[in-house]
Amino acid sequence: MAVRETIEFDLALVDHLIEEEEAKLAPKHRESIAYKQVARRTIAGGVASSWQDSPPHAIYIDHGERNRLWDVDGNEYLDYHLGYGAMVVGHAHPKVVEAVERQVRRGTHFAQPTKDLDAVGESLVDRFQLPLWRFMNSGTEATLEATRLMRANTGRDVILKVEGSYHGHHDSLMFSVVPDPQKIGPRDHPVTLPQAMGIPQAFADLVRVVPFNDLHEVKRALAEHEGQVAGMIVEPAMMNCGVILPEPGYLQGLKDLLHAAGAYLAFDEVKTGATIAYGGAVEAFGVVPDIVCLAKAIGGGLPCGAMGATEDLFRLVVDGDYDMAGTFNGNPLTMAASRATLTEILTKDAYERFDHVHGALAEGCTAVSEKYRLPAYVTGMGAKGSVIYSATPVKEYRDTVGIDERITYLAWLFQQNRGVFKSPWSKQETWTTSVWHTDEDVQRYVANFEEFAAAVTK
Amino acid sequence: MAAPDVVEIDLQLVEALAKEETAALDAKHRRSLEYREVAKSHLPGGVSSSWQSWPPHPIYVSHGKGSRVWDIDGNEYVDYHNGYGVMVMGHAHPKVVEAVQKRVELGTHFAQPTEDALVCAQNLAERFGLPYWRFGNSGTEATLDACRIMRAVTGRKKLLKVEGTYHGHHDSLMVSVFPSKEEAGPREHPASLPQTLGMPDGILEQVICVPFNDAEAVRRAFEDHPGQIAGMIVEPAMSNCGLVLPDPGYLQALKDACHANGALLAFDEVKTGCTLAWGGAVEAFGVVPDVVCLAKAIGAGLPCGAIGGTEEAMGMIVRGELEQVGTFNGNPLTMAAMKVNLTEVLTMDAYAEFDRVNGLLERCNEVIEKHRLPASMKLLGAKGSIDWHPEPIHEYRDLWDIDDRIPQLAWLWQLNRGVFKSPGSKWESWTSSIVHTDEDVRRYVDNFEGLAAAITA
Repeated sequence: MAVRETIEFDLALVDHLIEEEEAKLAPKHRESIAYKQVARRTIAGGVASSWQDSPPHAIYIDHGERNRLWDVDGNEYLDYHLGYGAMVVGHAHPKVVEAVERQVRRGTHFAQPTKDLDAVGESLVDRFQLPLWRFMNSGTEATLEATRLMRANTGRDVILKVEGSYHGHHDSLMFSVVPDPQKIGPRDHPVTLPQAMGIPQAFADLVRVVPFNDLHEVKRALAEHEGQVAGMIVEPAMMNCGVILPEPGYLQGLKDLLHAAGAYLAFDEVKTGATIAYGGAVEAFGVVPDIVCLAKAIGGGLPCGAMGATEDLFRLVVDGDYDMAGTFNGNPLTMAASRATLTEILTKDAYERFDHVHGALAEGCTAVSEKYRLPAYVTGMGAKGSVIYSATPVKEYRDTVGIDERITYLAWLFQQNRGVFKSPWSKQETWTTSVWHTDEDVQRYVANFEEFAAAVTK
Repeated sequence: MAAPDVVEIDLQLVEALAKEETAALDAKHRRSLEYREVAKSHLPGGVSSSWQSWPPHPIYVSHGKGSRVWDIDGNEYVDYHNGYGVMVMGHAHPKVVEAVQKRVELGTHFAQPTEDALVCAQNLAERFGLPYWRFGNSGTEATLDACRIMRAVTGRKKLLKVEGTYHGHHDSLMVSVFPSKEEAGPREHPASLPQTLGMPDGILEQVICVPFNDAEAVRRAFEDHPGQIAGMIVEPAMSNCGLVLPDPGYLQALKDACHANGALLAFDEVKTGCTLAWGGAVEAFGVVPDVVCLAKAIGAGLPCGAIGGTEEAMGMIVRGELEQVGTFNGNPLTMAAMKVNLTEVLTMDAYAEFDRVNGLLERCNEVIEKHRLPASMKLLGAKGSIDWHPEPIHEYRDLWDIDDRIPQLAWLWQLNRGVFKSPGSKWESWTSSIVHTDEDVRRYVDNFEGLAAAITA
C-alpha cells in the first residue's frame, strides 16, 4: 500500500452527522421501535440474542428475498449484513426452499443418522481437506468440541487463542473477545479477560492469549507453558475487527510451532468457511490445520455447525472412547438445506462471482477513500470485506484500539438510511455479499460510501 | 413400596435370546449395515452424534409420518424413540409442514429479531410461569446460558448438580453424568467426575454433585461451601435413568434451600418441558424455579433451545449487563415451527391424548405382575419407563443394581417387532406422541408381554 496523505476526521462533525442521520432513521422505524416495547415485556431486551440489538434501536425484520430484505416498517434494503455472514446463498434461495419443503414432509428429526449426512460430509472433505466430520447446531458447539477434542487427545489443558477473536459463547473460549484496552496488559503477556460476567477464573487460567500475526509470541507462549498446551484455536483471517488477513507464512508457522510442541491447530472457520473461498481459509491460504470449525454459511440459513478433523484426532471418537453428541446433531432438515447449499449453490462458480463483486466493491471504495483522502483502506476476499478506518495496516486487535467507533457507526447509519443493511457493532465497516449481488448493488454501496465520505470531509 | 415376590431373571437365557434377536436385527438392516461402511469414510463411526450409534449397529432412517418411522431398509416402526423425546407432535405434522413451507419462502435467517419470537416467548411465559425468555439452538446452549446467568447474578462460581443427570455437552456441566460405581465416591460426597476426556480439573472443581431426591444433601452442600454456590441445576424429573420422579416436596425444598443461601435454582426441562404436561415440570409439580431451560419438544423437530427466567435472573440481560448471544438465536424458521407447535399443536387439549395412551400403557403393569418381573413402571405425560428394578429408581445409584443385558434385550425385542425406541440405557424408556393410536400402544404392550413370557419361560 502506497503511503498517501490523509485527512483527520473531524469528530465534532461526525457527532453532528450522527445526530442528523439518527433523526432520519427513527421515523423510518416507527413499527420496529413500537414493537420492541411490546417484545421486551417477554423477551429479555426485546431480542432473541443481545447482538440483534444495536444503537440506535433494534430493527425487526419481516422477510427477505435473494439479496433484499424488508423490515416490519416495510423498508426495503439491499442486504450486506446477511445474518452475520450466514446468508451468502441469499434469502429464500429456490434450491434451499425446495430442499426444505421436500424434507419437512418426510420428517425433520429422528436423532438417528440419515443419508444426506454423507453428501454433506463429502463436500466438506473436498473443500477443507480434512477426512472426517461431525455436525452440530452452531459455531459455539463446533468450537466447544474442537477445544475438548484437542484437550482429550493431548491430555493437556491450556488453549492458546488470539486477542480480539470471538469463538462462540461457551465458557472455555469467551475470553479477550473485545477486551478493554485499559485492562489488556502488555502485548507479550495479554491478560486473559472474560468477555462476560459469570465465567469462573478457573476457565481463564486455562487460556493463554496471544496477538494475531505474530509467531514469535506463540513461540513464547509455548515455551512458557511447555508441555501444557493442548492446542491453539485461531480465525485464519480475523473477522471481528473488520477483516484482518494473515501475514504470508503465519498460518503455516503456527502449524509448525504447535506440532513441534506436541499440540494441535484448530481453524475457527465459522465466518470464513465457504465464504472467502470454496475451501475457506484452507484453500485461500493453503494450510490444512488439524481441526476446522464451521457454521453460518454452510447451513443455507438453518441453525448449523460442523467440525472436521484428522483421523488421528478423531480416533477417540471412532473407537468410542469419546462421545461427541447432541440430540439435534445432523438434523435432517438442516442437512437437506446444507446439502443443497454446498452441492448446488455454493459451487466453484459462485466463488468467481464473490471475487468479482469483491473486486468491484474494493475498487469503488478504494477510489472514494483516495478521492476524499480518508484514513482508510479496503481489505477482504470472496464474500467478505471491510473498510478499515486506519491510515496504517491493521494487523492485530491492538491496532484497532485507536479507531473511533463513531466513524463506523456513522458509516453504518449512512448506509442504513440509504437502503443498505449492514452488520452493526464493529469498529470497522464489514460486509458480506451473496450469490445474488450484482454490479448495480455494488454501485449503490459505493455511492452511499461516497456520500458519507463527502459529508465527513466537508 | 415393599419388594414384591419376583422371579430371578435367568441371565444365560437373556444372553441366548439377545444373540437370536441381534442376528434377526442384522438380517433386517442389510442396507443400514452397508451404508454405515460408506458413511464411516466421512463421519466418525458413520454417524453425526455418538449417541446415534448403539450396538449392534446404527439404524439409518429414511423418513417419518405421524407415529411411524421407516428405515432405509424399508422397515416400518411405531416410533417411541421420537428423536430422543423431541417429536411428541409426531413426524411431519401437517401444521408444522405448512408453517415451515410458508416461512422458508420468506427467508429463514437474518440474525435480526422477527415477530414470531414474541408469540413463542409469550406462550412459554404462560406455560412455565416465568416472565422473560431468550432463544438458543440446543439444550446444551440453554444450560450453558443458565450456568452463566446464575454465576453472573450471584458473583459466585460453584454449581450444584445431581449425580447421574445430563445437562448438555458444554464443559461446565459435563460432570458425573454416568459415573461408575468404582469411582463415584461416597453417596454423601459424590466425586465430580468428568463424563468425557478433555475436561480440565479446574473446571470439575467448580461443580458439586448431590444425589437426586435428597434435599438434605443440598442443604449440607450449602453448609460445606458457604457463600460459594451460584445455583443448582436439576432435571425436575430425572430423564436419563428412566423416568425418576421427584419425591413430594423435593423441588420446593430445593428452591427454599437455594434461596435461603442466596443462590438460584434452574430446572433443566429440556426433556420434561412440554412433554410431562402443558407447562412441563413447573405445572406437573407446582414449583416455579428461577430459570427454566428448554429445547427438544418445543421446536417441533428443528434445532432449538430456550431459556426463561425471573426478573431477577434475567435482569442483567434485560439491562445489557450480560450478553446472551448467538447468530442463530431466534432463527425465523425455528420460530415459525415453534409458534405453530406451541399455539396450535401442543395445546392444552393435546395433553389429554397422553392420558389415553398412558391408560393403555398401564397394561404393562399387569404384565409385570402376571410374570412377577423384577420391574416397575412410571408414566407421566409423554414420558414413561420400565425400570428393571423391583422398586422404582429413586436416584442414580439405584441403577447400578441393574444388569445391562436385560434392557438391551428388551430394546432389541421391540425393534424386531416394529417398535422403535431410544437405545443406550439400563432402563426401558419411551416418548409417546399425540398421534399415537390405540393400535400403536397395543403393539408396544403386546411386545412387552411377549418378552416377559420369553425371559420367564
